[in-house]
Amino acid sequence: MTRILDPTLSDAAAPAALPRAPRPRALRGLTVGLLANGKSNGMALLDGIAERLRERHGIGEVVRAAKTNASAPVSEEEVERLAKRCAVVVTAIGD
Amino acid sequence: MSAPVAPRASIEVGDAWDAIEACYARGWTDGLPVVPPTEALVDRMLAGGPWSPGDVLLHEPVRDRAVTAEKAAINAVMAGCRPEYFPVVGAALQAIGDPTFMLHGPATSTGGSALMVIVNGPAVGWLELNGGANLFGPGARANATIGRTLRLVLLNCLDCRPGVLDRSTQGWPGKYSLCFAEDEAASPWEPLSVSRGVPAGRSAVTVYAAESGHNVLSHGTGDPERLLTCFADALAGLGSLSPGRSVIVFAPEHAQHLRRAGWTRQRVQAWLYAHAWRSLADLKRAGKIEPAVYTNPELVAWIYRDAPGGRPEPPPGPEDADRVTPGDETVRVHRGLGPDDILLTVGGGAAGGHSAFFPSWSRGRSVPFVTKEVPA
Repeated sequence: MTRILDPTLSDAAAPAALPRAPRPRALRGLTVGLLANGKSNGMALLDGIAERLRERHGIGEVVRAAKTNASAPVSEEEVERLAKRCAVVVTAIGD
Repeated sequence: MSAPVAPRASIEVGDAWDAIEACYARGWTDGLPVVPPTEALVDRMLAGGPWSPGDVLLHEPVRDRAVTAEKAAINAVMAGCRPEYFPVVGAALQAIGDPTFMLHGPATSTGGSALMVIVNGPAVGWLELNGGANLFGPGARANATIGRTLRLVLLNCLDCRPGVLDRSTQGWPGKYSLCFAEDEAASPWEPLSVSRGVPAGRSAVTVYAAESGHNVLSHGTGDPERLLTCFADALAGLGSLSPGRSVIVFAPEHAQHLRRAGWTRQRVQAWLYAHAWRSLADLKRAGKIEPAVYTNPELVAWIYRDAPGGRPEPPPGPEDADRVTPGDETVRVHRGLGPDDILLTVGGGAAGGHSAFFPSWSRGRSVPFVTKEVPA
């Protein structure tokens, strides 16, 4: 018998678990954030989604944000801004 | 930074063949067989470097994943490294984990880049890293296994599996491994690492997110400008033209022409930048200017960087993306943003006028070159 070690992070400490925000039961009148990942068509995709959400669910104001670089994490300031103003946030990659 | 060391996760297998098959069954390989990472081999690998098992060699911030020396060592064993390679492996992981390198992009993007590792200094001799004939090809254990370790770490620790987080449209064989030495003796210039701020006589790695290489073939001239014309033409190819970076690996024969003519590294970089351009009209005719380009201030600045009179007024918009104006014929759009975006190194066999140009990953700025010293 041979024992071999696991090369993955299966046994590593999981990234800090964050509590899930409460889910709204309906979207009518709620402020919706759109967070594009910084690729060229991410916001175009999200704008289309916001339009559908407005038609189907009557969402309220839309707050738009985009990462400055698709390879980098979203900035804390953007997260704060979206968290303060929005009830839900939709994020997308669009190349 | 150090992470708590959990008890080692492991599996029981039968003989060596079973162990190899068990690694395949769990998706722990790049498609080639791996060396089964027994505890004894992993401990020997760790002993080859200066790190404790829990030291974090690479932290990927987008997905908050930390790769410890222990996990790096397991993957290095699997890749076939000898323990004496581990300091170079660790330095290369630190380099691709540098926050400026923004690993998440090149590791996952459709662009399908390879992680190029260029090694300088005494480690090249100790580890028998190849910077000579066939330096990008098979044959040298250190080249093959150090580069392979980075890929196994991406696969096994960062979940960059094909079709999962690695969304490469095509990828390329350099993704198995792309590690080589600079041929410092054949170079007309100071070692690459020294030009990037590492003291002479020390070992260092320089990393780069590389798309597949282009052969630059020239046997007919020793004149620097005529020779470099071939390189500028490759850099300005419509298929790869971008505001991104470039790596050129000059074959010793080409490097010798530049040495004889007394051209410095800076002069070659400046000449190549000045001559590697396409007209904006050419770019538009080839559909290289997407409408979204005109909504990105960085890309607009790149296009009109060297335009006579600067950016036109009123500013162009998405509707101008494929509308060729007479003025577009005189707007030269260069590869990169300046001479420093072109990294020059030397390697290859003594015979042959075959150099290589590696465009950077991404149609945007890509990620920078990062150099790290190898711990003694």
